[in-house]
Amino acid sequence: MAGWSGNVLDIDLNSQTFTTYPLDREMARQFIGGRGLGARLLWDMVGPEVDPLSPANVLIFTNGPLTATGYQTSNRFSVTTKSPLTGTVLDANSGGFWGMQFKKAGYDVMIVRGRAEKPIWIEIKNDEITFHDASELWGLRVFALTEKLGQNNNRRNVLCIGPAGENLSRLASIMNDRERALARGGPGAVMGSKNLKAIVVEGKDRPKIEDPERFKFLLYETRKLLAASPLTSQALPEFGTVVLMNIMNNIGALATRNHQQTQFEGAEAISGEELTEKYLVRNASCWACPIGCTRISKTGKVEGEGPEFETTWALGAQCGIDDLPAIIEANALCNDLGMDTISVGSTIACAMELSEKGYLDSDLRFGRADQLASVIEAMAYRKDIGADLADGSLRLATKYGHPELSMTAKGMEMPAYDPRGLQGQGLLYATSNRGGCHMRGNMIGLEVLGLPKLIDRFQVQGKSSFVILNQNSSAAIDSLVICKFTNMGVADEYFARVLSAVTGIQYATGEMIKVGERVWNLERLYNNREGFTSKDDTLPPRLLTEAPGDGPSQGWVSHLEPMLKEYYRTRGWDQNGVPTKQKLTELGLVNLLN
Amino acid sequence: MCASKRKKANIMPVVKLYASLRKFAGTKELSMAGGTVRAVVSELARQKPAIGEIVLEKDRLAPHVIVTLNGHNITDLDAPVVEQDVVAIFPPIAGG
Amino acid sequence: MVDPRIYEMFRDIGRDLFTSNMISSHGGNLSIRLGDRVVIKRRGAMLGQLKPHDLIETRLDRNDSGVALASTELLVHRTVYLNTPALAICHCHPRTAIAFSLSRDELVPIDNEASYLLKKIPVVTEEFASGTLQMANKVAEALRNYKIIMLRGHGSFATGQTLDEAFHWSSTLEESCQIELAAKLINEPFIEYRGMSGSYSKF
Repeated sequence: MAGWSGNVLDIDLNSQTFTTYPLDREMARQFIGGRGLGARLLWDMVGPEVDPLSPANVLIFTNGPLTATGYQTSNRFSVTTKSPLTGTVLDANSGGFWGMQFKKAGYDVMIVRGRAEKPIWIEIKNDEITFHDASELWGLRVFALTEKLGQNNNRRNVLCIGPAGENLSRLASIMNDRERALARGGPGAVMGSKNLKAIVVEGKDRPKIEDPERFKFLLYETRKLLAASPLTSQALPEFGTVVLMNIMNNIGALATRNHQQTQFEGAEAISGEELTEKYLVRNASCWACPIGCTRISKTGKVEGEGPEFETTWALGAQCGIDDLPAIIEANALCNDLGMDTISVGSTIACAMELSEKGYLDSDLRFGRADQLASVIEAMAYRKDIGADLADGSLRLATKYGHPELSMTAKGMEMPAYDPRGLQGQGLLYATSNRGGCHMRGNMIGLEVLGLPKLIDRFQVQGKSSFVILNQNSSAAIDSLVICKFTNMGVADEYFARVLSAVTGIQYATGEMIKVGERVWNLERLYNNREGFTSKDDTLPPRLLTEAPGDGPSQGWVSHLEPMLKEYYRTRGWDQNGVPTKQKLTELGLVNLLN
Repeated sequence: MCASKRKKANIMPVVKLYASLRKFAGTKELSMAGGTVRAVVSELARQKPAIGEIVLEKDRLAPHVIVTLNGHNITDLDAPVVEQDVVAIFPPIAGG
Repeated sequence: MVDPRIYEMFRDIGRDLFTSNMISSHGGNLSIRLGDRVVIKRRGAMLGQLKPHDLIETRLDRNDSGVALASTELLVHRTVYLNTPALAICHCHPRTAIAFSLSRDELVPIDNEASYLLKKIPVVTEEFASGTLQMANKVAEALRNYKIIMLRGHGSFATGQTLDEAFHWSSTLEESCQIELAAKLINEPFIEYRGMSGSYSKF
């Protein structure tokens, strides 16, 4: 098999045994890899009766046929599971080096089942799989653990959980290569519930490429395209993703103080410009990436990766905090404890609003940068007020009688882009299969940056077809698995051709995007099976009814309802948001319902 | 006690610069005269040629440059500008 | 009546198409997909002088009253939307590109801009120019893999997320063909300046 390694590694933690078997070729052709393959396998393995933190849940790590081929950004990988935060299908996607190494170890898929009786860690060296006792390692934070297990970016890669995952915080991430994260939706808690502390890989084999000449040509063209695009060749390396802070604030779409406002007066102080000027050491990149968007930042207390835009927003504007060094340090702390920075920041913000309004008895207040470190620690260890925050803002706000103050969609905290400033983005959050997430079809390209062209961010009619195209395309890219920043300089048609050149299976551009549509519909079926309905395709009341009083988005709420109706029709779903038999037949999914 | 003379404030539109444009201009913010976005940007390009090179392509905005007028994306350079307006200019950028 | 901002976009691009000699007075077509609906030119309208009532909105998947007024090419546009990720279509008659399409099965640009953006433009053939299912399917099939294609002797079909993207490809194609025509007149040996250009025709 070209592209794919053709092997599945199936691990049973109860007995500490494993089997390997061939990857189903037809399934691979239909779903490619990464997120797509993960969703397809999860459908078979984990049904509505399974509690996400029980041994019956699984962790499915997946590569794609492009992983480790050396194509630009062919380092990414996914984990798929049922989310303990949302109860939906969850895939989380990470970069760095681990995914590349896992592919070199000879696997496309690793399924982790059951629960180990006592903490263990797993070592994979191609077909040599060893289960080690992790009782000495349990309790270690991510940075120390990663070093202790012998992290070497190019040769030996550590994937692990920190204390947050051990303590089953539903905001716990799985970390790899020290500071990369499979962050959202609580996969770290699933791993912790299995008593699995770490997975370390070493690999020897690069994947086979079916048409090396064509591959070489596409590599060359991609290099040219990425170098020619000012976004990938200048802006991202120089300023990183935090460059968005001033942009989003300027247009009145930067959620502030738990989405109470859409502009933050402290935005400049936590902007990409400020970061680059005062705290940036250098940029860095993942394996085979020429872009280099990663920041290495330094304050008096820490030096390390980040912060990204979303992190800086969540621990910054969303909490009313304009202290950038405090945010940088809080980011490092989240990485070391193994926690999702977006959900952590937005949950703290929710707690701040609940406290200020007297619903929650705590001294948390907007703007209090000095409180960040202690509350984040408390969350990871479920101590004091941390116990209330450790499982996200929806459980927190519900417990204290005000669920409407949780800025979530399907239970996952929404990121920075306020839907009242971007109509399409609101539709995206409401319909995203893993909850309030921007990476499943980000509309800021079209609605803010003019990529490929600018569309009216306040227009409602017709928005759904853009959202749907973005969602389908993103799902396809998440199945290859490639970084979406490459997509900012390189169009989908190149990815389809690279996929064809590597695997030898011809995918037209439209067919590759159809894989994305297939994945999207399968995820939707999964959620429907779990009991989600069109009622869950919604946003917090604040975004539907409270318009900002000033700024460029003044007077605007999210006009979700008409967009959603059009969305269902355009997706080929019925008015309850259920994929029709016709659509499922078209996508080859109808047999899954039997 | 003398009556204070009321001086008419000389308000001009404000141009805010972001990302790499700041180092080329040597500043974050300037007052710039002009009755339309085009006039303001042209005057800026005249005063700071390095900015002009990034932001303008012949007499149009260079691709992927973002210009907002009071927070709203501008595609029509002939949009009118009044004294209290804020024109923000971002060079080609992106993020996640 | 269609949203004024959408009308303006059609009007401006229609006018640009006419003034840049990419269409005759009544030729060519523009459409966009709005969710599960299509907005397309009225039958007989002039793209260079579109008025608001010249835009017809109709269903994507089957006929409704709008279809009586819409362009005869509605079938092609619908078929493309149903079978590709396109959200906008620009169909025009770029003269030099059409001339080249008569004698080759693919156009492979020699200029920098078009080789960077387009790489290769396939040429498909169908005798009955408008309104037939065969032609619609053939065009849609080709557009699954390329963002702009030629229908031999007839014109180009380009897709994009927005009309100006589709127009961008069309305009680039015609410019590229005019450059190639000039090069043929100049008739001097070609000095290759692009790396790996031998692979463009395999794009």
